[in-house]
Amino acid sequence: MILLKNGQNLKVLEVRNITKCFHSKVVIDDLSFDVKKGEVFGLLGPNGAGKTTIIRILLDIIRSDSGEVIILGEEPNESVKEKIGYLPEERGLYQKMTVLNCLKYLNQLKGAKNSSEMINFWLEEIGLTDHKDKRIDMLSKGIQQKIQLISTLIHNPKLLILDEPFSGLDPVNVKMVKDILLDLKERGMTIILSTHQMDQVERMCDRILMIDNGKSALYGTLEDIKRNFEQSLFVEYEGHFKPLDGVKMIEDYGKYAEISLESGTDPQKVLKSMIDTVTIRKFELKAPSLNEIFIEVVGDA
Amino acid sequence: MHKTFVVAKHEFLSTVKTKGFIFSLILPFLIFIPMVLSIGIIPFAASEMPEVIGFVDESGILFASGDFVKYTDFDDAKGALIAGEIESLFTLRSDYLETGKVRVYSKTGPFNNAPTRAIETFLITGLLTESNLEEGIKKRIKEPLNAERIILKENGEVEEGGEVGIFLPYAVGFLLMIMIVTSSGYMMQGIVSEKENRTVEILLSSLSSGEILNGKILGYGSAGFLQVAIWICAGLVIISFTPLSSLLQVFEISGLLILTILYFILGYLLFASSMACVAAPASNMNEAQQGAGVFTMLAVLPLMLQGFVSTAPNSTIARVLSYLPYTAPVTMLMRLTQVNVPTYEIVASLSILAISVVVMMNLSARIFRTGILMYGKKFSFKDILSYLTD
Repeated sequence: MILLKNGQNLKVLEVRNITKCFHSKVVIDDLSFDVKKGEVFGLLGPNGAGKTTIIRILLDIIRSDSGEVIILGEEPNESVKEKIGYLPEERGLYQKMTVLNCLKYLNQLKGAKNSSEMINFWLEEIGLTDHKDKRIDMLSKGIQQKIQLISTLIHNPKLLILDEPFSGLDPVNVKMVKDILLDLKERGMTIILSTHQMDQVERMCDRILMIDNGKSALYGTLEDIKRNFEQSLFVEYEGHFKPLDGVKMIEDYGKYAEISLESGTDPQKVLKSMIDTVTIRKFELKAPSLNEIFIEVVGDA
Repeated sequence: MHKTFVVAKHEFLSTVKTKGFIFSLILPFLIFIPMVLSIGIIPFAASEMPEVIGFVDESGILFASGDFVKYTDFDDAKGALIAGEIESLFTLRSDYLETGKVRVYSKTGPFNNAPTRAIETFLITGLLTESNLEEGIKKRIKEPLNAERIILKENGEVEEGGEVGIFLPYAVGFLLMIMIVTSSGYMMQGIVSEKENRTVEILLSSLSSGEILNGKILGYGSAGFLQVAIWICAGLVIISFTPLSSLLQVFEISGLLILTILYFILGYLLFASSMACVAAPASNMNEAQQGAGVFTMLAVLPLMLQGFVSTAPNSTIARVLSYLPYTAPVTMLMRLTQVNVPTYEIVASLSILAISVVVMMNLSARIFRTGILMYGKKFSFKDILSYLTD
């Protein structure tokens, strides 16, 4: 049901017990979650977990077998699509069209009219005004990615669903995209972000849903989730360290390691045994990274 | 519904603006005009040239006159032929009156037709010179046949346009087939290119798969229709300048024209939606064309059996082909230009076709919806069946 507070609709999305099967294989299993207005919501999970399926259900591209979805106050239908901006993982642009014409066409398909103003605004935001009359296949991949991003914004959506928005972008463009998203958030945009880049999730998302094999594995704010896990030791070191006791898992990068401790283990003891064998440059004791949590939660599957 | 037209307009414009399309408009004329010229003008020019014909006559009947040159020595004559002084050579032996045997010589080469008609006329003139017949009869003997050709259709009516009318069903069927195949081809390319451009999901997040499919069918169909319309108009203009302008009488606004348009539209819709089913799951043009090959064969089939249908328009085969939805448009049009097909047959054929169109468009919308999301997976009939139940 829709929660009302001061006459305002607080939930942009409500998913209740949806299930979906393909060829007698259960792809989504009794899944429920909400997305609140104005938040950045992370949708995570290993490949094949069902993320794309969920997104397609939200967009009425496919239908769930059972359960309920209320998106922007309605059940998924054609008119709701016009209020959503979607950046799919498998994405592309009409290679043979000019930037301007492509954006105009995509905008028309969203039912929006008179888009020149918005198109010019966003082209300027991403610094591509000079390219607007060029054919898309003449532009680099990075530039095309940026054009793809703004194609989701031109029709003034109320909700953004972005699947791997940072893929293929160099650090400069990642920053540009991130800044745009944060700016949108400040103006009240709700964003559902599906990505494998855990560091981005940690920095940007208010709440997350992690699914595994179509089921909910983790759900809630990052703080709440991390509270359920033992702290980890983060070390920068040189050398090779020997196996350690009381340790759940070690994520070793060669010069950097994240060490998850079993409950009851004293981190000081672990540090001491490490000092004997390696040179430690830096260490920190804090909540585990989302990356670590992800691997722990879904890694054994 | 309105988004269907957005897609249709976009696909139409993007097709007709391509160089390929514009080239295809001119192409037939680039091929046909030289062909028509070479068939019409060159032989015409050749026949205008005076042909000097030599002869050697041992029977004594013939005298040299006009283009006919008499040689007494065969080797001289042969030499003249080889040298090109004469175009051809014929010889009569002394026993010609009894046997009628004449040897006609010509040189090898592309136009080595012997002027047998001219020789025949010359021989008749020679034979008649000696006789006592009246001039009038002699003239009639030399030119006995001044034929006026009238061809009757099966129902006893006179075939308009004479012999040319016989080509009409073939031409109409051919044009219909071309339009169906090219439009459907454009459409298949249009569907496959959405996958190649990776724009499928973006489209599906903006409008329903039905709107996408219908928009494409409408847009590409209009482009194909425009192409054929231009060909026909240009062709008619050209024809009106040639002796074949009698053909133009046949193109009157009539029931036939309306039926033609109806069959065009229904036939195209059937083929386009069928091909969409095949194009949607395909990952590239090759796969799509393999699957679509079946439908192309069906479109061509009536033309291959054209001889059959033309000569026996009311035979069982012709009837059956008129009812089968895929062959109905072309077959029925071919029959209609030949005979008065009973109204009930036309109604039945159109009804079956219309129902098939509805069924097929429904089916294709479903297959399109699931198939379009498949990437790089070689599909089989089993997969398609399962798409229908999804």
